[in-house]
Amino acid sequence: MMPIPSPIEADTDSRREFLRNILAGTATATVLMVFGPGAMALSDPTRRTKNKAKHQFAYVININNCIGCGNCVRACNKENNVPASVFRTWVERYVVTDEGVYVESPNGGLKGFEAVNKKLRQNFKKSFTVPKMCNHCEDPPCVQVCPVGATFKTEEGFVLVDHAHCLGCAYCVQACPYAARYIDPIKHVSDKCDWCYHRVKNGKLPACVTVCPNKARLFGDLKDPESEVTKIFKEDQWMVLKPHMHTDPTCFYIGLPREVV
Amino acid sequence: MSGPSSTSHLYRLGIVLVAFFVAAVLVGWWAVPSSWNFDVDHWYRKDALIDNAQKPMVYGGNESCKDCHEPAMKKLAKFKHRALSCESCHGPVADHVRGNKKFAAAKVDKSRWQCENCHQEQINRPKDFPQFSKTGDIGKFVKKHNLLEKKTLCLECHNAHDPTN
Ligand code: HEC
Ligand code: HEC
Ligand code: HEC
Repeated sequence: MMPIPSPIEADTDSRREFLRNILAGTATATVLMVFGPGAMALSDPTRRTKNKAKHQFAYVININNCIGCGNCVRACNKENNVPASVFRTWVERYVVTDEGVYVESPNGGLKGFEAVNKKLRQNFKKSFTVPKMCNHCEDPPCVQVCPVGATFKTEEGFVLVDHAHCLGCAYCVQACPYAARYIDPIKHVSDKCDWCYHRVKNGKLPACVTVCPNKARLFGDLKDPESEVTKIFKEDQWMVLKPHMHTDPTCFYIGLPREVV
Repeated sequence: MSGPSSTSHLYRLGIVLVAFFVAAVLVGWWAVPSSWNFDVDHWYRKDALIDNAQKPMVYGGNESCKDCHEPAMKKLAKFKHRALSCESCHGPVADHVRGNKKFAAAKVDKSRWQCENCHQEQINRPKDFPQFSKTGDIGKFVKKHNLLEKKTLCLECHNAHDPTN
């Protein structure tokens, strides 16, 4: 027969143990929160080159250079046959005033932007245009929610859609924090920017990068020490959209003002 | 002792489990595409990579004009517009050349919009970018342009390739 422990003794013991566990748990959680995967979200992009793949592509958008002409949107639409009601890439104009921030993207910025009215023109503090597109996240929420594995991250950094396998359930459209995805109104499958995979595989740049007149859009291989994106990361000036989502984007922004959401 | 043996329910359970396993294998074999990539971090149909790369290219980049327009390109390389993409003004190469032969004219929009799209003064443009201004607040080319009528085409004075001329 097991000896029945004295109730008083057992109580102090487990209480002490309980407090000790709480302390240890809190300490571990604190350490994990500070140094864990969350804190890694904004670490050096060149760490991506540490895998076995031959290339590791990255995209850089320089807000300081964007003139808001919309050539990228026009080229993207033609290159990828994008239906009229949706966009793979679009340009937003921000006008920051004392009263608030105005954001607009008339027809995705397809035809550039109209001049702003007189009142805004006299009151604005700053104004800029921000090209947006799929961020090709390292940790893409769209891939996590796809029930059939029809959207995926390739070893080289592309997030692609398997159109033949996609059910068109639109979970991924809802999961994307950047609103980069749409359901193709004609083919009824999910689609989005694929960094012009068909062009990159043929040694060309994505269409938007090809036509950009002012080097606001750059694309390149992080494993190539001579590529333009690799050189950018030597200077530590980049930012990503919505870092708090922990998606770890591979689409980096230079000169991103704090107003941008 | 009569009645069911004390282990018969285990046999039944075993048969159900085996049936379940066989069914799972069959469904898996039927539902999982043949070229599936069984890597937990990259979970996809490998043939999708081939499918995605099949799309025809529309834009060729400036290097695609070189074979046929070498002299024009050599000149252009000296001008202020040297960094521009030919196709941003002339349309994609796929609309102009097919199978190494010109099959349709490379159209170009000669209206004012063509230039204003990039050079019309806008508050959102970088300050150091050359901008044409009607009102004269910002922009580099103010003085001469203030006198212009709305209808005047930019190309009446400017050469699209060598704009400072
Ligand atoms: C800013 C827009 C613009 C860009 C960029 C541009 N062109 Fe042009 N190009 C024009 C316009 C406008 C004309 C028509 C000129 C006219 O008729 O007065 C033209 C005419 C031409 C012609 C007809 C023959 C000639 O020389 O007049 C050729 C060939 C040509 N461009 C090739 C090119 C190539 C190659 C590039 C890229 C290196 C290029 N263009 C870039 C606007 C542009
Ligand atoms: C397979 C050769 C070939 C290629 C590649 C090519 N062109 Fe042409 N292009 C021609 C020919 C031929 C003409 C007509 C003869 C001429 O006027 O020189 C022409 C004429 C033009 C014209 C004058 C308008 C017209 O169509 O008659 C423009 C502008 C032009 N090309 C732009 C371009 C641009 C921009 C590119 C690159 C994106 C390009 N071409 C690539 C063969 C080519
Ligand atoms: C796709 C955008 C784009 C289009 C369209 C365009 N330009 Fe330009 N333009 C540029 C860029 C980029 C520069 C170089 C700016 C620089 O040097 O910093 C430039 C420079 C110029 C300059 C020289 C400015 C200076 O530095 O003194 C003139 C003049 C000019 N463009 C006129 C025109 C005219 C006229 C047209 C219409 C045929 C035109 N541009 C169409 C992008 C464009």
